[in-house]
Amino acid sequence: MKILVVEDNARVARFVTQGLREAGHTVDHADNGRDGMFTAASEPYDVIVMDRMLPGNIDGLAIIEALRKAGNRTPILILSALDAVDERIRGLKSGGDDYLTKPFAFGELLARVDALGRRSSGGDTDRALQVGDLRMDLLSRRVTRGARLITLQPREFKLLEYLMRHANQVVTRTMLLEAVWDYNFDPQTNVVDVHISKLRQKIELDSERPLVRTVRNAGYMMCEHDQA
Amino acid sequence: MIRLNRSSAVTWAVGYVLLGLAALAAFAVPLWYAWNVTIFSGRQEILRDDAQRLTELFNRYGEGGLTAYINARVGMQIAGERTLLLTDSAYRPLAGNLKVWPRDIPDKPGTQAVMADLAGQPTHTLLVRTTLPGGYHLLVGRDLALFLPLERRFTFGLIAAVTFLFLVGVAGAILIRRELLARVQGIRQTVSAIMQGDLRHRLPIRRTNDELDTLSQTINGMLDHIEHLISGISNVSNSIAHDLRTPLAELRSRLEELALTRPAPAETFAEVDAAVADVDRVIRIFNALLRLAELDTGARRSGFVPVDAAAVTAEVVEFYEPAAELKGVAFSFASDGVAAVAGDPVLLAQAVSNLIDNSLKCVAVHGAISVHVGRRADGAVEIAVADDGPGIADADKPKAAERFFRGDLSRGTPGVGLGLSIVDAVAKLHGGVLQLLDNNPGLRAQMVLPVTSARTNR
Repeated sequence: MKILVVEDNARVARFVTQGLREAGHTVDHADNGRDGMFTAASEPYDVIVMDRMLPGNIDGLAIIEALRKAGNRTPILILSALDAVDERIRGLKSGGDDYLTKPFAFGELLARVDALGRRSSGGDTDRALQVGDLRMDLLSRRVTRGARLITLQPREFKLLEYLMRHANQVVTRTMLLEAVWDYNFDPQTNVVDVHISKLRQKIELDSERPLVRTVRNAGYMMCEHDQA
Repeated sequence: MIRLNRSSAVTWAVGYVLLGLAALAAFAVPLWYAWNVTIFSGRQEILRDDAQRLTELFNRYGEGGLTAYINARVGMQIAGERTLLLTDSAYRPLAGNLKVWPRDIPDKPGTQAVMADLAGQPTHTLLVRTTLPGGYHLLVGRDLALFLPLERRFTFGLIAAVTFLFLVGVAGAILIRRELLARVQGIRQTVSAIMQGDLRHRLPIRRTNDELDTLSQTINGMLDHIEHLISGISNVSNSIAHDLRTPLAELRSRLEELALTRPAPAETFAEVDAAVADVDRVIRIFNALLRLAELDTGARRSGFVPVDAAAVTAEVVEFYEPAAELKGVAFSFASDGVAAVAGDPVLLAQAVSNLIDNSLKCVAVHGAISVHVGRRADGAVEIAVADDGPGIADADKPKAAERFFRGDLSRGTPGVGLGLSIVDAVAKLHGGVLQLLDNNPGLRAQMVLPVTSARTNR
């Protein structure tokens, strides 16, 4: 993917651009709002990572609003040290697609950038999802693995749907919390892990090949082929 | 001393005196006018009537008749009541109580107020002069000096009233000012003491419930709140310093050790991962503190919507069910149906989540946690999480919701010591309270949320 990073802090910028390049993306970097705005408007990107506090007291949100007004639909991940819920809401209202608070783990950033980039290419109108021999019919809400029918609780269904929609991508615990439970706080116990392991018990019998992989320091990934 | 012209009490008193004077003037001026116009013209009329009647007598009975009448009347009347004089055309007196025709009387008919030489002394007189047929002159008059005592009394009364008003006003100003100054001075002294850092002082209250008392009570309430906040801040600063020092110290020694020993890459990376985990712990503490700060400002109230506390709680319970199951804990949920409150669903969920999280950490394997949402008799919604864990010692209960407090029993369990603080802050934000009760054994933590007054609590 081609990614633009607008971030003035040199250390954070280097950390982010290097990490994204190592993950196989093409990365451009702008260290101020004017360049960021100009670059974003002149070249097509798959994802833009936008810092909120830019030199000269420019709020990244203003740039996002300007881009959206100009008809630019590139998915934007907002980076911000402002954690308050109101700020998050403002960020998303201004046209941002996701909001990540500093300081963050790189795995979290990468997973969210991947999710955003994937969203821009794939549609939400699927009638069924398939990963390997696991199949989810979104209309009849039937989940099968091969010939085996799997019964899921509504929340388990939502969890599995999210994992399958983001197959071959890392999804973090925070992303799952936000998407599946709508919680933006951090439960101190590893509740998400327990949910995942419970889901695994249902979709991965002993005889079957594992589908959900734990990614160290990041989260989970659902994939067809066992790459571990 | 406050300068006189800057005392509001004096300003007010002077204002009231001036207002009183204005009111007095508004009362006296029309009266004065009425006196001078109505009564004066009334007198003129009486004199004119008198002159008219005498003229008629003259016309009917001639000089003799009038002379006799005047003489009779002068003899009967009280001295000085009426001045009467009839003269012939050469101003020789024929009848009346004046010996000579006074000089200084203008030679024209009609009413005049003049200083005339009556009976040898100049007198302020109101006169009606008539010329009768045959050249006779008739003078009918009234000595205005007779009214002087009355006028003087009126003027005196007015001056007395003004003086009285002025004196009372000044005395009032001095008294009010002294009283007000004394109390303001008291407030100033207390406030100065507080500004110098001693927050325990409170303004004196007189229990009279007057304006200053009400103000003092309000200020005292504010001081209570400030003192509470300040002590909270200083506690929190201490606790932050302490709680952050531990992971930071670990982090520092880890990094320093790495730099000194330069171990094999595999070990180095393991240490780096551990260092990142240390930093994450610090970040978690900061996040919790920021969330608390956000809650304390009350800004989140603007996002309040009608929420079913029972449904929110049920979702959190469902969220924790697998974790409880994994630990072998009997986890039950019951509700009395819809429990509507005005609130922030995410914050309520976080609060319930923290309570369940706490219980889950504390209870033994195969322990029990029960969650209940119900309505109290007064309509308040109660969200209770009860467990059979070690509970909180009675002595620690009041402190348990304080920031960074960790009871002896919870030492060694994971957590940053802010969970209950957040629950407490969320409850307060919703106008409610967090209660920590004995579950015999264990802890029963319950949030009591009023249904309507979610905005009234500070």
